[in-house]
Amino acid sequence: MKPKAILLPAAEMPRQWYNILADIKLNPPLGPDGKPISPDMLAPVFPMNIIEQEVSTQRWIDIPEPVLDVYSIWRPSPLIRATTLEKVLDTPARIYYKNEGCSPPGSHKPNTAVAQAYYNKQFGIERITTETGAGQWGSALSFACAQFGLECKVYMVRVSFEQKPYRKTMMEVWGGKCIPSPSSETKAGRDALARDPNTPGSLGIAISEAVEAAVSDTTGKTRYSLGSVLNHVMLHQTIIGLEVKKQLAMAGEYPDIVIACAGGGSNFAGLAFPFVLDKINGKEIEIYPVEPQACPSMTRGLFIYDYGDTARYTPLLAMHSLGHMFVPPPIHAGGLRYHGMAPAVSQLIEEGLVTPKTVNQLACYEAGSLFAKTEGFIPAPETTHALAQTIAEARLAKEEGKEKVIVVNFSGHGLLDLAAYEQYMAGGLKDVFLSDEKIAELKDAIKSQPVPEQLKSMRK
Amino acid sequence: MNPDELDIRCPRLGSSVSFGYCRSCGDGTSPCFKIFDCWWERFDVVAYFKERLPEEEFMQLAGTRPKPKVLSLLEIIEQARRNTAGGGND
Repeated sequence: MKPKAILLPAAEMPRQWYNILADIKLNPPLGPDGKPISPDMLAPVFPMNIIEQEVSTQRWIDIPEPVLDVYSIWRPSPLIRATTLEKVLDTPARIYYKNEGCSPPGSHKPNTAVAQAYYNKQFGIERITTETGAGQWGSALSFACAQFGLECKVYMVRVSFEQKPYRKTMMEVWGGKCIPSPSSETKAGRDALARDPNTPGSLGIAISEAVEAAVSDTTGKTRYSLGSVLNHVMLHQTIIGLEVKKQLAMAGEYPDIVIACAGGGSNFAGLAFPFVLDKINGKEIEIYPVEPQACPSMTRGLFIYDYGDTARYTPLLAMHSLGHMFVPPPIHAGGLRYHGMAPAVSQLIEEGLVTPKTVNQLACYEAGSLFAKTEGFIPAPETTHALAQTIAEARLAKEEGKEKVIVVNFSGHGLLDLAAYEQYMAGGLKDVFLSDEKIAELKDAIKSQPVPEQLKSMRK
Repeated sequence: MNPDELDIRCPRLGSSVSFGYCRSCGDGTSPCFKIFDCWWERFDVVAYFKERLPEEEFMQLAGTRPKPKVLSLLEIIEQARRNTAGGGND
Protein backbone atom coordinates (compact mmCIF):
# COMPACT_ATOMS: atom_id res chain seq x y z
CA MET A 1 0.00 0.00 0.00
CA LYS A 2 1.24 3.44 -0.90
CA PRO A 3 -0.01 6.18 1.48
CA LYS A 4 -2.25 8.79 -0.13
CA ALA A 5 -2.75 11.10 2.84
CA ILE A 6 -0.19 13.51 4.22
CA LEU A 7 -1.00 13.78 7.90
CA LEU A 8 0.43 16.73 9.77
CA PRO A 9 1.28 15.84 13.38
CA ALA A 10 -1.01 17.54 15.89
CA ALA A 11 1.94 19.37 17.40
CA GLU A 12 2.60 20.95 14.01
CA MET A 13 -0.82 22.58 13.72
CA PRO A 14 -0.33 26.29 12.93
CA ARG A 15 -0.52 28.53 16.00
CA GLN A 16 -1.30 31.74 14.10
CA TRP A 17 -3.69 32.83 11.37
CA TYR A 18 -2.43 34.88 8.42
CA ASN A 19 -4.04 38.28 7.93
CA ILE A 20 -3.81 39.39 4.31
CA LEU A 21 -4.80 42.95 5.23
CA ALA A 22 -1.19 43.39 6.33
CA ASP A 23 -0.06 42.91 2.75
CA ILE A 24 -2.72 44.46 0.55
CA LYS A 25 -4.37 47.84 0.45
CA LEU A 26 -8.09 48.20 -0.05
CA ASN A 27 -10.22 51.04 -1.27
CA PRO A 28 -12.68 51.43 1.60
CA PRO A 29 -16.43 51.13 1.05
CA LEU A 30 -17.91 54.61 0.76
CA GLY A 31 -21.15 55.63 2.39
CA PRO A 32 -23.82 57.73 0.70
CA ASP A 33 -21.99 60.80 2.00
CA GLY A 34 -18.82 59.73 0.23
CA LYS A 35 -16.99 59.02 3.48
CA PRO A 36 -15.57 55.61 4.45
CA ILE A 37 -17.80 53.42 6.58
CA SER A 38 -16.55 52.78 10.10
CA PRO A 39 -16.46 49.16 11.32
CA ASP A 40 -17.51 50.42 14.78
CA MET A 41 -20.97 50.77 13.32
CA LEU A 42 -21.15 46.97 13.48
CA ALA A 43 -20.84 46.95 17.30
CA PRO A 44 -24.54 46.16 17.82
CA VAL A 45 -24.05 42.77 16.17
CA PHE A 46 -20.41 41.81 16.72
CA PRO A 47 -18.27 41.83 19.89
CA MET A 48 -15.43 44.33 19.86
CA ASN A 49 -12.72 41.67 19.84
CA ILE A 50 -14.06 40.41 16.51
CA ILE A 51 -14.44 43.95 15.15
CA GLU A 52 -10.80 44.53 16.06
CA GLN A 53 -9.87 41.51 13.97
CA GLU A 54 -12.08 42.75 11.15
CA VAL A 55 -9.95 45.87 10.79
CA SER A 56 -6.59 44.57 12.01
CA THR A 57 -3.56 44.91 9.78
CA GLN A 58 -1.36 42.74 11.98
CA ARG A 59 0.10 40.05 9.71
CA TRP A 60 0.07 37.12 12.12
CA ILE A 61 -2.63 36.72 14.77
CA ASP A 62 -2.29 34.11 17.50
CA ILE A 63 -4.90 31.37 17.56
CA PRO A 64 -6.13 31.12 21.15
CA GLU A 65 -5.34 27.85 22.90
CA PRO A 66 -9.05 26.99 23.50
CA VAL A 67 -9.68 27.38 19.77
CA LEU A 68 -6.77 25.07 18.99
CA ASP A 69 -8.22 22.57 21.46
CA VAL A 70 -11.48 22.44 19.50
CA TYR A 71 -9.71 22.48 16.13
CA SER A 72 -7.81 19.40 17.28
CA ILE A 73 -11.04 17.37 17.04
CA TRP A 74 -10.50 17.20 13.27
CA ARG A 75 -7.43 19.27 12.53
CA PRO A 76 -4.90 19.10 11.06
CA SER A 77 -7.10 17.90 8.24
CA PRO A 78 -5.53 15.50 5.76
CA LEU A 79 -3.96 16.57 2.48
CA ILE A 80 -4.58 13.69 0.12
CA ARG A 81 -2.91 12.81 -3.18
CA ALA A 82 -5.65 12.08 -5.70
CA THR A 83 -3.75 9.22 -7.29
CA THR A 84 -6.80 7.43 -8.69
CA LEU A 85 -8.11 10.60 -10.29
CA GLU A 86 -4.66 11.24 -11.75
CA LYS A 87 -4.60 7.75 -13.20
CA VAL A 88 -8.03 8.07 -14.81
CA LEU A 89 -7.05 11.43 -16.29
CA ASP A 90 -3.71 9.96 -17.40
CA THR A 91 -2.09 13.20 -16.37
CA PRO A 92 1.48 13.94 -15.36
CA ALA A 93 0.07 16.44 -12.83
CA ARG A 94 0.20 15.59 -9.15
CA ILE A 95 -3.13 16.53 -7.61
CA TYR A 96 -3.56 17.09 -3.89
CA TYR A 97 -6.86 17.88 -2.20
CA LYS A 98 -7.24 19.36 1.27
CA ASN A 99 -10.12 17.54 2.89
CA GLU A 100 -12.13 20.06 4.89
CA GLY A 101 -15.12 17.73 4.70
CA CYS A 102 -13.85 15.78 7.70
CA SER A 103 -14.95 18.35 10.28
CA PRO A 104 -17.92 17.39 12.46
CA PRO A 105 -20.40 19.44 10.39
CA GLY A 106 -18.72 18.30 7.17
CA SER A 107 -17.25 21.52 5.77
CA HIS A 108 -14.65 24.25 6.29
CA LYS A 109 -17.23 26.44 8.06
CA PRO A 110 -16.30 25.51 11.65
CA ASN A 111 -12.82 27.00 11.19
CA THR A 112 -14.43 30.39 11.76
CA ALA A 113 -17.48 29.24 13.73
CA VAL A 114 -15.24 27.92 16.50
CA ALA A 115 -13.16 31.08 16.59
CA GLN A 116 -16.21 33.34 16.60
CA ALA A 117 -17.86 31.34 19.38
CA TYR A 118 -14.69 31.62 21.45
CA TYR A 119 -14.35 35.39 21.00
CA ASN A 120 -18.01 35.93 21.82
CA LYS A 121 -17.59 33.88 24.98
CA GLN A 122 -14.52 35.91 25.93
CA PHE A 123 -16.52 39.10 25.45
CA GLY A 124 -19.17 37.88 27.87
CA ILE A 125 -21.76 36.98 25.27
CA GLU A 126 -24.12 34.16 26.23
CA ARG A 127 -26.04 33.51 23.02
CA ILE A 128 -25.41 33.87 19.30
CA THR A 129 -27.94 34.23 16.54
CA THR A 130 -27.47 33.57 12.86
CA GLU A 131 -29.33 32.71 9.70
CA THR A 132 -28.82 29.69 7.52
CA GLY A 133 -30.07 28.45 4.20
CA ALA A 134 -29.82 24.70 3.97
CA GLY A 135 -28.07 24.53 7.33
CA GLN A 136 -24.36 24.18 6.58
CA TRP A 137 -23.44 27.34 8.45
CA GLY A 138 -26.12 26.88 11.10
CA SER A 139 -24.86 23.43 11.94
CA ALA A 140 -21.24 24.64 12.07
CA LEU A 141 -22.16 27.42 14.49
CA SER A 142 -24.31 25.09 16.61
CA PHE A 143 -21.38 22.73 16.91
CA ALA A 144 -19.03 25.59 17.84
CA CYS A 145 -21.40 27.08 20.42
CA ALA A 146 -21.74 23.68 22.07
CA GLN A 147 -17.99 23.57 22.50
CA PHE A 148 -18.00 26.84 24.45
CA GLY A 149 -21.29 26.53 26.32
CA LEU A 150 -23.09 29.22 24.33
CA GLU A 151 -26.72 29.24 23.29
CA CYS A 152 -27.20 29.23 19.54
CA LYS A 153 -30.34 30.30 17.75
CA VAL A 154 -30.50 29.66 14.01
CA TYR A 155 -33.15 31.13 11.75
CA MET A 156 -33.39 28.65 8.90
CA VAL A 157 -35.19 29.66 5.71
CA ARG A 158 -38.47 27.75 5.81
CA VAL A 159 -38.21 26.22 2.33
CA SER A 160 -34.89 24.65 3.36
CA PHE A 161 -36.11 23.84 6.86
CA GLU A 162 -38.78 21.63 5.33
CA GLN A 163 -36.41 20.05 2.80
CA LYS A 164 -33.41 19.41 5.03
CA PRO A 165 -34.64 17.83 8.24
CA TYR A 166 -31.27 16.24 8.92
CA ARG A 167 -29.50 19.60 9.07
CA LYS A 168 -32.08 20.80 11.59
CA THR A 169 -31.53 17.64 13.60
CA MET A 170 -27.76 18.14 13.51
CA MET A 171 -28.17 21.62 14.95
CA GLU A 172 -30.47 20.38 17.67
CA VAL A 173 -28.20 17.46 18.60
CA TRP A 174 -25.49 20.05 19.21
CA GLY A 175 -27.92 22.04 21.36
CA GLY A 176 -28.76 24.75 18.84
CA LYS A 177 -32.29 26.04 18.49
CA CYS A 178 -33.35 25.91 14.85
CA ILE A 179 -36.36 28.02 13.97
CA PRO A 180 -38.05 28.12 10.58
CA SER A 181 -38.01 31.64 9.18
CA PRO A 182 -40.17 33.69 8.99
CA SER A 183 -41.06 33.13 12.62
CA SER A 184 -43.36 34.91 15.02
CA GLU A 185 -40.39 35.70 17.28
CA THR A 186 -39.37 38.93 15.56
CA LYS A 187 -41.14 41.86 13.98
CA ALA A 188 -39.36 41.16 10.71
CA GLY A 189 -40.76 37.63 10.78
CA ARG A 190 -44.23 38.65 11.85
CA ASP A 191 -44.40 41.24 9.08
CA ALA A 192 -43.42 38.64 6.51
CA LEU A 193 -46.03 36.22 7.83
CA ALA A 194 -48.65 38.96 7.77
CA ARG A 195 -47.90 39.54 4.08
CA ASP A 196 -48.14 35.82 3.34
CA PRO A 197 -48.79 33.23 6.07
CA ASN A 198 -47.56 30.49 3.73
CA THR A 199 -44.36 32.21 2.65
CA PRO A 200 -41.41 29.86 2.10
CA GLY A 201 -39.11 32.53 3.52
CA SER A 202 -35.88 33.96 2.17
CA LEU A 203 -32.33 34.58 3.30
CA GLY A 204 -33.10 38.28 3.52
CA ILE A 205 -35.89 37.70 6.02
CA ALA A 206 -33.81 35.17 7.99
CA ILE A 207 -30.90 37.63 8.29
CA SER A 208 -33.29 40.34 9.43
CA GLU A 209 -34.67 38.02 12.09
CA ALA A 210 -31.24 36.96 13.35
CA VAL A 211 -29.99 40.54 13.53
CA GLU A 212 -33.17 41.74 15.20
CA ALA A 213 -32.90 38.97 17.80
CA ALA A 214 -29.39 40.16 18.64
CA VAL A 215 -30.10 43.89 18.60
CA SER A 216 -33.30 43.60 20.65
CA ASP A 217 -31.71 41.78 23.59
CA THR A 218 -31.54 44.55 26.17
CA THR A 219 -29.18 42.55 28.39
CA GLY A 220 -26.45 42.97 25.78
CA LYS A 221 -25.64 39.26 26.02
CA THR A 222 -26.62 38.36 22.45
CA ARG A 223 -24.64 38.88 19.27
CA TYR A 224 -24.96 37.85 15.63
CA SER A 225 -22.51 35.73 13.65
CA LEU A 226 -21.73 35.64 9.95
CA GLY A 227 -19.99 32.76 8.22
CA SER A 228 -18.65 34.35 5.04
CA VAL A 229 -17.38 37.44 3.22
CA LEU A 230 -16.01 39.52 6.13
CA ASN A 231 -12.30 39.89 6.82
CA HIS A 232 -12.27 38.08 10.16
CA VAL A 233 -13.99 35.08 8.58
CA MET A 234 -11.32 34.81 5.91
CA LEU A 235 -8.63 35.25 8.56
CA HIS A 236 -9.87 32.26 10.56
CA GLN A 237 -9.98 30.12 7.44
CA THR A 238 -6.30 30.63 6.65
CA ILE A 239 -5.41 27.70 8.86
CA ILE A 240 -6.33 25.61 5.80
CA GLY A 241 -3.58 26.99 3.58
CA LEU A 242 -1.07 27.23 6.40
CA GLU A 243 -1.50 23.52 7.10
CA VAL A 244 -1.23 22.73 3.40
CA LYS A 245 2.11 24.50 3.16
CA LYS A 246 3.50 22.37 5.96
CA GLN A 247 2.04 19.18 4.50
CA LEU A 248 3.47 19.86 1.06
CA ALA A 249 6.83 20.54 2.63
CA MET A 250 6.64 17.10 4.26
CA ALA A 251 6.20 15.65 0.75
CA GLY A 252 8.91 17.83 -0.73
CA GLU A 253 6.40 19.62 -2.94
CA TYR A 254 5.31 23.16 -3.68
CA PRO A 255 2.23 23.92 -5.79
CA ASP A 256 2.28 25.32 -9.29
CA ILE A 257 -1.46 25.94 -9.05
CA VAL A 258 -3.80 26.52 -6.10
CA ILE A 259 -7.55 26.22 -6.72
CA ALA A 260 -10.67 26.85 -4.63
CA CYS A 261 -14.25 27.79 -5.34
CA ALA A 262 -15.16 31.42 -4.75
CA GLY A 263 -18.73 31.70 -3.64
CA GLY A 264 -18.74 33.64 -0.39
CA GLY A 265 -14.96 33.70 -0.63
CA SER A 266 -14.00 32.13 2.67
CA ASN A 267 -12.83 28.72 1.54
CA PHE A 268 -10.91 30.32 -1.31
CA ALA A 269 -9.33 32.75 1.12
CA GLY A 270 -8.56 29.95 3.55
CA LEU A 271 -6.51 27.93 1.11
CA ALA A 272 -5.20 30.72 -1.10
CA PHE A 273 -4.23 33.67 1.10
CA PRO A 274 -1.13 32.02 2.61
CA PHE A 275 0.03 31.29 -0.95
CA VAL A 276 -0.79 34.85 -2.02
CA LEU A 277 1.71 35.91 0.63
CA ASP A 278 4.31 33.70 -1.06
CA LYS A 279 3.43 35.23 -4.42
CA ILE A 280 3.81 38.73 -3.01
CA ASN A 281 7.25 37.61 -1.86
CA GLY A 282 8.21 36.48 -5.34
CA LYS A 283 7.10 32.85 -5.64
CA GLU A 284 5.96 31.64 -9.05
CA ILE A 285 2.49 30.26 -8.44
CA GLU A 286 -0.93 30.46 -10.09
CA ILE A 287 -3.91 30.97 -7.79
CA TYR A 288 -7.38 30.40 -9.19
CA PRO A 289 -10.67 31.36 -7.53
CA VAL A 290 -13.39 29.53 -9.42
CA GLU A 291 -16.95 30.72 -9.85
CA PRO A 292 -19.91 29.53 -11.90
CA GLN A 293 -19.75 30.53 -15.52
CA ALA A 294 -23.04 32.29 -15.07
CA CYS A 295 -21.21 34.91 -13.00
CA PRO A 296 -18.00 35.89 -14.79
CA SER A 297 -17.71 39.19 -12.94
CA MET A 298 -14.18 38.54 -11.83
CA THR A 299 -12.90 37.60 -15.22
CA ARG A 300 -14.44 40.14 -17.51
CA GLY A 301 -15.45 43.25 -15.57
CA LEU A 302 -13.71 46.56 -15.09
CA PHE A 303 -12.32 47.69 -11.75
CA ILE A 304 -14.24 50.87 -11.09
CA TYR A 305 -16.23 52.71 -8.52
CA ASP A 306 -19.77 51.65 -9.23
CA TYR A 307 -23.25 52.13 -7.84
CA GLY A 308 -25.15 49.16 -6.48
CA ASP A 309 -28.36 49.85 -8.35
CA THR A 310 -29.78 51.50 -11.41
CA ALA A 311 -31.22 54.37 -9.38
CA ARG A 312 -27.75 55.18 -7.99
CA TYR A 313 -29.03 55.24 -4.41
CA THR A 314 -26.42 52.88 -2.99
CA PRO A 315 -22.85 53.97 -2.20
CA LEU A 316 -20.01 53.89 -4.66
CA LEU A 317 -17.82 50.84 -4.12
CA ALA A 318 -14.60 49.75 -5.66
CA MET A 319 -15.39 46.49 -7.37
CA HIS A 320 -15.23 44.57 -10.58
CA SER A 321 -18.28 45.54 -12.51
CA LEU A 322 -19.91 45.81 -15.85
CA GLY A 323 -21.77 48.85 -14.68
CA HIS A 324 -25.04 49.62 -13.01
CA MET A 325 -26.91 50.14 -16.27
CA PHE A 326 -25.93 46.77 -17.63
CA VAL A 327 -28.84 44.83 -19.05
CA PRO A 328 -28.14 41.23 -19.89
CA PRO A 329 -28.71 40.36 -23.51
CA PRO A 330 -31.12 37.56 -24.34
CA ILE A 331 -29.78 34.01 -24.22
CA HIS A 332 -26.49 34.99 -22.63
CA ALA A 333 -28.05 36.94 -19.81
CA GLY A 334 -26.97 34.95 -16.80
CA GLY A 335 -23.32 35.28 -17.61
CA LEU A 336 -23.01 38.72 -16.13
CA ARG A 337 -25.75 39.05 -13.59
CA TYR A 338 -23.76 38.64 -10.41
CA HIS A 339 -21.16 41.24 -11.20
CA GLY A 340 -20.00 42.36 -7.78
CA MET A 341 -17.11 40.79 -5.90
CA ALA A 342 -15.73 40.97 -2.37
CA PRO A 343 -13.35 43.95 -2.20
CA ALA A 344 -10.37 41.91 -0.96
CA VAL A 345 -10.71 39.44 -3.82
CA SER A 346 -11.27 42.25 -6.32
CA GLN A 347 -8.06 43.83 -5.10
CA LEU A 348 -6.08 40.60 -5.49
CA ILE A 349 -7.44 40.24 -9.02
CA GLU A 350 -6.65 43.83 -9.84
CA GLU A 351 -3.08 43.33 -8.73
CA GLY A 352 -2.75 40.14 -10.74
CA LEU A 353 -2.11 38.07 -7.63
CA VAL A 354 -5.00 35.71 -8.34
CA THR A 355 -6.56 34.76 -11.66
CA PRO A 356 -10.27 34.00 -11.63
CA LYS A 357 -11.67 31.13 -13.61
CA THR A 358 -15.20 30.14 -14.47
CA VAL A 359 -16.77 26.75 -15.00
CA ASN A 360 -20.19 25.72 -16.22
CA GLN A 361 -22.75 23.62 -14.35
CA LEU A 362 -22.30 20.57 -16.51
CA ALA A 363 -18.54 20.47 -16.01
CA CYS A 364 -19.03 20.88 -12.26
CA TYR A 365 -21.28 17.88 -11.85
CA GLU A 366 -19.18 15.81 -14.23
CA ALA A 367 -16.18 16.65 -12.08
CA GLY A 368 -18.02 15.89 -8.86
CA SER A 369 -19.15 12.53 -10.16
CA LEU A 370 -15.70 11.63 -11.48
CA PHE A 371 -14.11 12.63 -8.20
CA ALA A 372 -16.58 10.50 -6.24
CA LYS A 373 -15.97 7.51 -8.50
CA THR A 374 -12.20 7.80 -8.20
CA GLU A 375 -11.38 9.31 -4.81
CA GLY A 376 -14.52 8.18 -3.03
CA PHE A 377 -15.71 11.36 -1.37
CA ILE A 378 -18.89 12.93 -2.75
CA PRO A 379 -18.18 16.67 -2.94
CA ALA A 380 -20.58 19.42 -1.98
CA PRO A 381 -21.99 21.14 -5.09
CA GLU A 382 -19.92 24.30 -4.54
CA THR A 383 -16.79 22.17 -4.14
CA THR A 384 -17.36 20.73 -7.61
CA HIS A 385 -16.47 24.11 -9.13
CA ALA A 386 -12.94 23.82 -7.81
CA LEU A 387 -12.72 20.19 -8.86
CA ALA A 388 -13.86 21.01 -12.41
CA GLN A 389 -11.06 23.55 -12.75
CA THR A 390 -8.61 21.09 -11.24
CA ILE A 391 -9.51 18.47 -13.81
CA ALA A 392 -9.21 21.04 -16.60
CA GLU A 393 -5.73 21.98 -15.38
CA ALA A 394 -4.71 18.33 -15.09
CA ARG A 395 -5.81 17.75 -18.69
CA LEU A 396 -3.89 20.83 -19.79
CA ALA A 397 -0.81 19.51 -18.02
CA LYS A 398 -1.17 16.33 -20.05
CA GLU A 399 -1.41 18.30 -23.29
CA GLU A 400 1.64 20.31 -22.33
CA GLY A 401 3.50 17.31 -20.91
CA LYS A 402 4.21 19.16 -17.68
CA GLU A 403 4.42 17.67 -14.19
CA LYS A 404 2.44 20.38 -12.44
CA VAL A 405 1.54 20.21 -8.75
CA ILE A 406 -2.08 21.18 -8.25
CA VAL A 407 -3.66 21.78 -4.84
CA VAL A 408 -7.43 22.08 -4.51
CA ASN A 409 -9.63 22.79 -1.54
CA PHE A 410 -12.19 20.03 -0.96
CA SER A 411 -14.32 22.42 1.05
CA GLY A 412 -17.06 20.03 2.10
CA HIS A 413 -18.81 16.76 1.45
CA GLY A 414 -22.14 16.57 -0.35
CA LEU A 415 -23.86 13.85 1.62
CA LEU A 416 -26.76 16.17 2.45
CA ASP A 417 -26.87 17.62 -1.07
CA LEU A 418 -27.69 14.54 -3.06
CA ALA A 419 -30.73 16.11 -4.71
CA ALA A 420 -28.33 18.25 -6.73
CA TYR A 421 -26.68 15.12 -8.10
CA GLU A 422 -30.07 13.63 -8.87
CA GLN A 423 -30.85 16.67 -11.02
CA TYR A 424 -27.56 16.35 -12.83
CA MET A 425 -28.09 12.67 -13.52
CA ALA A 426 -31.56 13.46 -14.84
CA GLY A 427 -29.87 15.63 -17.50
CA GLY A 428 -30.96 18.89 -19.03
CA LEU A 429 -27.93 21.15 -18.55
CA LYS A 430 -26.40 23.09 -21.40
CA ASP A 431 -23.51 25.50 -21.86
CA VAL A 432 -23.81 29.08 -23.11
CA PHE A 433 -21.12 31.73 -23.46
CA LEU A 434 -21.11 35.54 -23.69
CA SER A 435 -19.21 36.85 -26.69
CA ASP A 436 -16.09 39.00 -26.31
CA GLU A 437 -17.69 41.55 -28.63
CA LYS A 438 -20.62 41.95 -26.28
CA ILE A 439 -18.28 42.31 -23.29
CA ALA A 440 -16.36 45.04 -25.11
CA GLU A 441 -19.60 46.83 -25.88
CA LEU A 442 -20.64 46.75 -22.22
CA LYS A 443 -17.29 47.98 -20.99
CA ASP A 444 -17.43 50.86 -23.45
CA ALA A 445 -20.78 51.89 -21.99
CA ILE A 446 -19.33 52.51 -18.52
CA LYS A 447 -15.90 53.89 -19.34
CA SER A 448 -16.83 57.36 -18.06
CA GLN A 449 -17.38 56.19 -14.48
CA PRO A 450 -14.80 57.05 -11.78
CA VAL A 451 -11.88 54.67 -11.42
CA PRO A 452 -10.48 53.78 -7.97
CA GLU A 453 -6.86 54.42 -7.16
CA GLN A 454 -4.82 51.50 -8.47
CA LEU A 455 -3.39 50.41 -5.13
CA LYS A 456 -0.48 48.03 -5.06
CA SER A 457 0.48 45.85 -2.13
CA MET A 458 3.91 45.77 -0.62
CA ARG A 459 6.19 43.57 -2.68
CA LYS A 460 9.49 42.17 -1.62
CA MET B 1 -42.53 24.22 -21.12
CA ASN B 2 -43.80 25.77 -17.91
CA PRO B 3 -40.76 27.08 -16.01
CA ASP B 4 -42.65 26.95 -12.73
CA GLU B 5 -42.45 23.18 -12.95
CA LEU B 6 -38.65 23.26 -12.97
CA ASP B 7 -36.47 22.87 -9.89
CA ILE B 8 -32.89 23.97 -9.39
CA ARG B 9 -30.35 24.01 -6.60
CA CYS B 10 -30.20 27.45 -5.06
CA PRO B 11 -26.54 28.33 -4.43
CA ARG B 12 -27.49 30.77 -1.69
CA LEU B 13 -29.76 28.43 0.23
CA GLY B 14 -28.03 25.19 -0.67
CA SER B 15 -31.29 23.40 -1.31
CA SER B 16 -33.67 22.78 -4.17
CA VAL B 17 -36.17 25.47 -5.12
CA SER B 18 -38.69 25.92 -7.90
CA PHE B 19 -38.57 28.68 -10.48
CA GLY B 20 -41.71 29.98 -8.83
CA TYR B 21 -39.76 30.50 -5.62
CA CYS B 22 -37.03 32.42 -7.43
CA ARG B 23 -39.66 34.62 -9.07
CA SER B 24 -40.92 35.88 -5.73
CA CYS B 25 -38.27 35.49 -3.06
CA GLY B 26 -36.56 38.82 -3.56
CA ASP B 27 -38.87 40.68 -1.22
CA GLY B 28 -41.84 38.37 -1.25
CA THR B 29 -43.08 39.62 -4.58
CA SER B 30 -40.11 40.41 -6.83
CA PRO B 31 -37.54 38.01 -8.31
CA CYS B 32 -34.28 37.02 -6.67
CA PHE B 33 -31.35 39.15 -7.82
CA LYS B 34 -29.58 35.98 -8.99
CA ILE B 35 -32.47 34.64 -11.05
CA PHE B 36 -30.71 35.20 -14.39
CA ASP B 37 -27.52 33.63 -13.06
CA CYS B 38 -29.15 30.49 -11.90
CA TRP B 39 -31.63 29.83 -14.66
CA TRP B 40 -29.89 30.90 -17.85
CA GLU B 41 -28.62 27.42 -18.52
CA ARG B 42 -32.09 25.92 -18.20
CA PHE B 43 -34.22 28.17 -20.43
CA ASP B 44 -34.32 31.71 -21.85
CA VAL B 45 -35.09 33.37 -18.55
CA VAL B 46 -34.31 36.84 -19.89
CA ALA B 47 -36.91 36.55 -22.63
CA TYR B 48 -39.34 35.25 -20.02
CA PHE B 49 -39.03 38.41 -17.94
CA LYS B 50 -38.82 40.76 -20.91
CA GLU B 51 -42.21 39.50 -21.97
CA ARG B 52 -43.75 39.87 -18.52
CA LEU B 53 -42.20 42.92 -16.87
CA PRO B 54 -42.58 46.59 -17.79
CA GLU B 55 -39.31 47.88 -19.21
CA GLU B 56 -38.48 49.88 -16.09
CA GLU B 57 -38.94 46.87 -13.81
CA PHE B 58 -36.95 44.69 -16.16
CA MET B 59 -34.12 47.23 -16.19
CA GLN B 60 -34.20 47.35 -12.41
CA LEU B 61 -34.03 43.57 -12.13
CA ALA B 62 -31.25 43.43 -14.69
CA GLY B 63 -29.22 46.05 -12.89
CA THR B 64 -29.64 44.80 -9.34
CA ARG B 65 -26.58 43.46 -7.59
CA PRO B 66 -25.93 42.24 -4.06
CA LYS B 67 -24.74 44.98 -1.78
CA PRO B 68 -21.44 44.56 0.01
CA LYS B 69 -22.06 42.66 3.22
CA VAL B 70 -21.03 45.45 5.56
CA LEU B 71 -23.42 47.88 3.92
CA SER B 72 -26.34 45.50 3.94
CA LEU B 73 -25.65 44.59 7.56
CA LEU B 74 -25.74 48.25 8.55
CA GLU B 75 -29.10 48.62 6.86
CA ILE B 76 -30.46 45.54 8.59
CA ILE B 77 -29.18 46.76 11.96
CA GLU B 78 -30.94 50.07 11.45
CA GLN B 79 -34.14 48.31 10.47
CA ALA B 80 -33.87 46.03 13.51
CA ARG B 81 -33.46 49.04 15.76
CA ARG B 82 -36.60 50.58 14.31
CA ASN B 83 -38.45 47.30 14.73
CA THR B 84 -37.30 47.01 18.35
CA ALA B 85 -38.35 50.57 19.05
CA GLY B 86 -41.76 49.77 17.66
CA GLY B 87 -41.40 51.98 14.66
CA GLY B 88 -40.72 49.39 12.03
CA ASN B 89 -42.18 50.09 8.67
CA ASP B 90 -41.47 46.94 6.70
